[in-house]
Amino acid sequence: MSDQKNPGSHTETIHLPAPTAWPLVLAFGATLLFAGLVTSPWISVLGGILMISGAVGWFRQVLPHEVHEDIPVVVEEVALTTTRRQVEKIVIPEGDRAHLPLETYPIISGIKGGLAGGVAMIPPALLYGLIAQHSIWYPVNLLGGAGVANWRNPSTADIAAFHWQGLLVASAIHWTTCVLVGLLYGAMLPMLPRRPILLGGVIAPVLWTGLLHSVMGIVNPVLDEHIAWGWFLVSQVAYGVTAGLVVARQERIRTTQSLPFAMRVGLETPGLGHEHSDEGKH
Amino acid sequence: MADQTLPIHGALDLTPPRESQHTLLDILHDWVITVDHKKLGLMYMMMAIFFLLVAGAEAICIRIQLAVPNNHFISPQTFNRLFTMHGTTMVFLVGMPLVFAWANYIVPLQIGARDMAFPRLNAFSFWLTFLGGIFLYYSFIGGPGLYGTGSAPDVTWWAYAPLTAKAFSPGHATDYWALALIVTGFGTIGGGINIMATVLSMRCKGMTLMRMPLFTWLMFVNGAFVLIVITPLTAAQVMLLIDRYLGGHFFDTQAGGSATVWMHFFWIFGHPEVYVLVFPAFAIASEVIQVFSRKAIFGYPAMVAAVVGIAFVSLGVWAHHMFTIGMTSAGNAFFVLSTSLVGIPTGIKIFNWLATMWGGKIRFATPMLFCTAFLFQFLCAGLTGIMLSVAPWDWQLHSSYFVIAHFHYVLVGAIVFNVFAGIYYWFPKATGRMMSETLGKWHFWLFFIGFHVTFDTMHFVGFEGMPRWIYTYPADRGWQHLNLVVSIGGVIQAIAVLLFAYNLIWSLFKGKIAGNDPWDAWTLEWATSSPPPIYNFATDPVVRSRRPLWDLKHPEDPDWKYD
Repeated sequence: MSDQKNPGSHTETIHLPAPTAWPLVLAFGATLLFAGLVTSPWISVLGGILMISGAVGWFRQVLPHEVHEDIPVVVEEVALTTTRRQVEKIVIPEGDRAHLPLETYPIISGIKGGLAGGVAMIPPALLYGLIAQHSIWYPVNLLGGAGVANWRNPSTADIAAFHWQGLLVASAIHWTTCVLVGLLYGAMLPMLPRRPILLGGVIAPVLWTGLLHSVMGIVNPVLDEHIAWGWFLVSQVAYGVTAGLVVARQERIRTTQSLPFAMRVGLETPGLGHEHSDEGKH
Repeated sequence: MADQTLPIHGALDLTPPRESQHTLLDILHDWVITVDHKKLGLMYMMMAIFFLLVAGAEAICIRIQLAVPNNHFISPQTFNRLFTMHGTTMVFLVGMPLVFAWANYIVPLQIGARDMAFPRLNAFSFWLTFLGGIFLYYSFIGGPGLYGTGSAPDVTWWAYAPLTAKAFSPGHATDYWALALIVTGFGTIGGGINIMATVLSMRCKGMTLMRMPLFTWLMFVNGAFVLIVITPLTAAQVMLLIDRYLGGHFFDTQAGGSATVWMHFFWIFGHPEVYVLVFPAFAIASEVIQVFSRKAIFGYPAMVAAVVGIAFVSLGVWAHHMFTIGMTSAGNAFFVLSTSLVGIPTGIKIFNWLATMWGGKIRFATPMLFCTAFLFQFLCAGLTGIMLSVAPWDWQLHSSYFVIAHFHYVLVGAIVFNVFAGIYYWFPKATGRMMSETLGKWHFWLFFIGFHVTFDTMHFVGFEGMPRWIYTYPADRGWQHLNLVVSIGGVIQAIAVLLFAYNLIWSLFKGKIAGNDPWDAWTLEWATSSPPPIYNFATDPVVRSRRPLWDLKHPEDPDWKYD
C-alpha cells in the first residue's frame, strides 16, 4: 500500500486491496466439503468445485500482481479538543514523599530476618510438643503432614511419632515461608508508621493468627482440632519480633524507584541523572 | 473548562461516498466482497451479537426448565441439545468472533496501519467462522436425527469420550459438532496469523513494541495464543472422526484407546481458551479505565509482562479440570500449584487497573460502569477459581452448579461486561454516533442486578449439591427456591440485553453525532474521523509515546518527555 500524489491538485489516491468475493467462495466451498460428510456426497463434490474455483480466483487476484483499487482522498485538518483543564505543575521536594520510602533495607536483610525468625519459632513450637504431647515431633508433623500424600486420618500417636517425610516437608515449608515473610518484612518495615517492630512483630502476627483461627475450621477442620492456638500465637510473635529486630538492625540503602530504568539496570549512561532531574522541574 | 483545539494535518477524509451505493443490494454486495478490516470487524461483531442472542435464548429455555421441580417445559433430549449448543455457541460463535471483531476493527487503527497484513485471508477467516456457525445450526434442521427433530449436538460443549463414540452417539449430531468446529477452527487460525503479522509488520513510524497501546499488546499475545491453543482441539476432532468412521480407537477404551486422552486434548485447548476469550476483556479494560480515570495506565511494562505470563502459565494448568478422574498425588500437586500460579500475573493486572483508577478523575459513563463491575466480578471469579484449583475442594464441587457459577462469573461477569463496555466505547468511532447514555445506564444496572441474582445464587445451588446437566429435579431436594431466583435473574439479564439491542439500533439512526474524539482519548483511532475512511489515515501517523493524542493535545506536557 502506498500513496500517490496527483500533480497539480490537493488530492491523493491511496492503493488498497481491491474487494473480492473469492475468499467467500473458497470458504463456502470448504464448508460444503465438510457438510457433505453428514448430508450427501454431492454436497462435498460441489464444495470441492467451489474450493478449486475460489483458490484459482484468489490466486488470480494476487498473481502476478496484486489487484488494487485507487481510493481518492481529499485532505483537510481535523480539530482535536481536550476537556483537560490547564493546571500548574507543583515541584514537590524529595522529602515530601510520604508513601514510597526514600530508604529501605537490602534484600539480604529480609532473608537474614526470616531465617532468624524461623529459628526463634522453633523453641516455643517444640516446647508445646513436649508439654502437650510429650513429643517434639508433634508440631513438626502437624506442619509437614499436609505434604505426606499417603497419610490418611492419622491418630494423635501417629502425629507424635517421627516421620522423615514429615520432617522434610515441614522443613521445606517452614524455611521457605520464613524467608518469604522475612523478605516481606524487609520491604514493609520502612513503610510502617512509628513503632515498626510493634506493628510488624506483634500486631501483624496477632491479626494473622486470628485470621487463620477463624478460617481453619472451614478450610481444614481436622487440622484445626490439633492446633493449640495460644502456642501458635506465641511462636508467631517470636518470629515477628525476632525478624523485625534483625531487619531493623541492618543498614538502610537508598531506594531507586525515582531513577530512570537505564540507571537502575546499571547501564553506562553519563549525564542521565542530570537530564532527568532537569526534566522533573518542568 | 479550557478547551484546546489542535490541528492534525491530513487526518480527515472528505471523499464523497461512492455513487454506486444506492440500493440495499449494492450495500450488501459491498459488504460481502469487502476485505476492509473495519467492515470485517463489524461483521464479526454482528455475527457475535446475533449468536449471543441465540445462545441467550437457549439459556432462557434452560432456566425456564430448571425454574421449578419436575418441570417438562422442554423434553430431556431438547434440554441436552440446548445446553450443548449454548456452551458451544457462546465459546466458538460469540467469544471467538468477538476476539477477531476487536482485533480487526481496532488494532490497525491503533497502530496507524491502513489494513490488516493479509486482507483477503482476513475475509476468508471471517467467512469460515460464520459459515461454520451456520453449519452447526443447520444441524437443527439438517436431518431426522435421533429424536426426529434434527441432529443438533447433545454431548456437551466438551464432548467427552466415550459418549461421542458411534455406539453411544449414533446419527450425525456429534459429527455436526466436530465438523463445524473444525471449519471455525481454520478461520480462527487464519485470524491469529493475521493479527500477529499485522502487529509485527504494520506499525507506524515511531511505534515501538513498548509504545503500543495495551489493547494491541493483548491482541498480539492473543493472536499467538490461539495458534497454540486451537490446534489440539482440531487434532482431537479429526481423531474423533477417525474413531467414528475409519475404525480408529483413539478414545475407545474397549479397544486399547483412552477416554482420558480426549480429556487431555480437550482441556489443553479448553482452559487456555478461557484466557483467549478473556484477553479482549482485559484489552478493553486497559483502554477504558485509563481514559475514564484521566490517567495513563499504571505499570505498563508489568501489564505487558503479566499478559505474557498469564498466557505462558495457562498452558500448564489444563488438568485441574480432571482432578476427579484420579490422578497421582504428584499430578494433583503440580496442577494445584500451576493453577494457583496464574493468580500472580492476574493479580498484577487487577492491582494495576485499580492503581490507574486511584487518584484519577473518574467519569462513570456507561463504558466505565461496565469496566468497574468487571473488576469486582473478575476478582470474585478469580477467587472461586483459586478455590476450585485446590484438588480436595474440587473433588467436592466438581460438576456441581458451583463450577457453572464460577465460569459464568468469568465468561459473563468479566467478558460479556467488558464487551458491552467496548461497544459503548467504540460505537461512536465505528458509526459516528453516540449510544444513548440513559439507555446504557438502564442496560448496565439491569444487567448487573440480573447477573448477580443469577450467578451469586448459583454458587449456593452448587453448595447444596445440585449437579450440572440434570434435566429436572424432585421437589424434596431443597433446590427449588434457589433455582427460581436463578431463573428470574436470567430473565432480568435477557431484558437488559434486549434493551441494549434496542439502544444499538436506535443510536445507529438517532444517536447524537459523536465527533472524532468524544471521550477525549489518547490512542490513534481517535485521530481519524468517525467512522474512519476506508484507508484510515490519509497520511501515515508518527508517534513518539504510548499516548500520541495526549502529545498532540498537550504539547506543553507531552508523554515522550518522560519515556
